Amino acid sequence: MAATNKGKTAKPAKVVAFSVNGKAVELQIGSEPHQVESSHTLAHTLRETLGLVGTKITCDNGACGSCTVLIDGKAILSCMTLTVECQGKSVMTIEGLADPVSGRLDPLQQSFIDHTAFQCGFCTPGMIMSAKALLGENAAPTEDEVKEALSGNFCRCISHYHVVKAVLAAAPGGSE
Amino acid sequence: MKPFLHLNAQTVAQAVKSLVKFEGRARLNAGGTDLFGLLKDEFLPEYPEAIINLKSVAGLNYLKQSKGILRIGALAKLCDIAESPLIKERYGALAEAAHAVASPQLRNVATIGGNLCQDVRCCYYRYPRHLGGPISCARKGNGPCLAVRGDNRNHAIMEGRKCFAVCPSDTAVALAAFDARLVVVGPAGERRIAVRDFYHPLGNALERDEIVKEIEVPALAGRARQSFLKFTLRRPIDFAVVSVAALIVVENGVCCEARIALGAVAPGVIRATAAEEYLKGRAIDVESAAQAGELALAGARPLPKNAYKLEIVKTLVKRGVLGLPLETAGEGDAGGPCPHGNPERG
Ligand SMILES: Cc1cc2nc3c(=O)[nH]c(=O)nc-3n(C[C@H](O)[C@H](O)[C@H](O)COP(=O)(O)OP(=O)(O)OC[C@H]3O[C@@H](n4cnc5c(N)ncnc54)[C@H](O)[C@@H]3O)c2cc1C
Ligand code: SF4
Ligand code: FES
Ligand code: FES
Repeated sequence: MAATNKGKTAKPAKVVAFSVNGKAVELQIGSEPHQVESSHTLAHTLRETLGLVGTKITCDNGACGSCTVLIDGKAILSCMTLTVECQGKSVMTIEGLADPVSGRLDPLQQSFIDHTAFQCGFCTPGMIMSAKALLGENAAPTEDEVKEALSGNFCRCISHYHVVKAVLAAAPGGSE
Repeated sequence: MKPFLHLNAQTVAQAVKSLVKFEGRARLNAGGTDLFGLLKDEFLPEYPEAIINLKSVAGLNYLKQSKGILRIGALAKLCDIAESPLIKERYGALAEAAHAVASPQLRNVATIGGNLCQDVRCCYYRYPRHLGGPISCARKGNGPCLAVRGDNRNHAIMEGRKCFAVCPSDTAVALAAFDARLVVVGPAGERRIAVRDFYHPLGNALERDEIVKEIEVPALAGRARQSFLKFTLRRPIDFAVVSVAALIVVENGVCCEARIALGAVAPGVIRATAAEEYLKGRAIDVESAAQAGELALAGARPLPKNAYKLEIVKTLVKRGVLGLPLETAGEGDAGGPCPHGNPERG
């Protein structure tokens, strides 16, 4: 197997390019103040470098779901993702849901408001992004499917019951 | 996280080369969901100099069946394993185990290689630097085990020696029931390690510069009724207190093959061989299943605070053998009908 690689070891990258809410982002990798460090998480870069503070960091350890964003349509935890490993990906955050021209909220966001599906609201962006991923794959989820899709999102204020209702009501193929 | 050099490996060979070059000061990153815990909490005395990304290696994310063996690339994601029709159909216990891990967001990135190679969850071992850690202990090669005399509620009831932390991997339990093997690549070439021999009390069987490339899962001869049961304190995002994978093949009313694997009770996955032997040649009913539960505890020596796990093992083995769901109401089920249909029909 060594013969195929002529003794080369892996090399570090100098820039990372990806899109956030449809806009192209290119960041230099390095340890200068204007650069992204290879150890920065996507959650950190979104909030501190790109100013997109809708994504929340709570446990910073993969255990609460409040930092959930979509990468290529799938819900992932931005606190457990390295920015340098997002090369070529398409990232969507809570800021990307409303219509950029009219400012109209996504039906999910509106439904959370209509169902008062939060109290302090800290878990809400993560909840909405997990629900967005679900509805992207399944336009008519059952209540159990909603609960399953949101099982990685904690809410300290026990808004879960309202959240499940809000998601079911926002599902285009839903019955509520 | 403190800075590190970040490298994208293009091939397995390149990743091995980089590991060799850094002489133990580099770590592999697959899904990162376990690795970042280490990097953020800095619970080991040394912080890695380099992180080698494996996701950039093409062709390591696959599931394929050939000649009665399922081959899973080390980078296959748990979400794909849980949802694969092939795995659900022939290796149902593995699909259930993959689905039982963590949360949807974590399963979307976590890999099977990382799930098998993840580090233990002992609360002393993982005590973070920002709270005054790291804490030295036997597993870190420095001092005694703190759990033996301290909080050992989540620790081993069998086979602990020096270290009593349990193997946290859910998929390892199902894979051990299937007699799966890891295909491992290192500077000296390729070798195979059975999942049930992979874990030792102080770590796993990988040499410093070795990488798991593939997992080989032989299919069972007959049509087995399969189950994976995981007892946790809360349902999602929680490690097993005890888990059991059971594969039972019944022909003409008697059990001809039984595989029972126990998770979170020992440093590795335990195969309950006494229980397996006992079931072979017998009818599967409430009595024989309960007896298998008793026999599964052969060799158990609980620590002061974890004898409660014994009852959970017995109950999960019994329910696994009978094909009952995890939450079966009461033990009044003795002799009652199996809600999941006839246990003789695979
Ligand atoms: C909140 C939370 C809950 C969790 N719950 C569970 C649970 O219920 N059940 C469970 O089983 N696990 C659980 N985990 C643990 C873990 O995240 C997952 O098991 C996951 O599958 C690890 O895979 P990964 O690809 O992210 O591994 P990584 O973090 O990338 O790797 C883990 C370790 O294995 C090494 N490694 C990775 N790939 C290879 C390879 N191919 N060859 C050699 N070494 C390799 C890495 O260097 C690292 O040391 C949980 C984790 C978190 C954060
Ligand atoms: S159980 Fe293992 S990891 Fe935990 S304190 Fe003891 S030696 Fe350390
Ligand atoms: S902040 Fe990412 S999961 Fe809690
Ligand atoms: S609304 Fe407060 S954490 Fe969910």
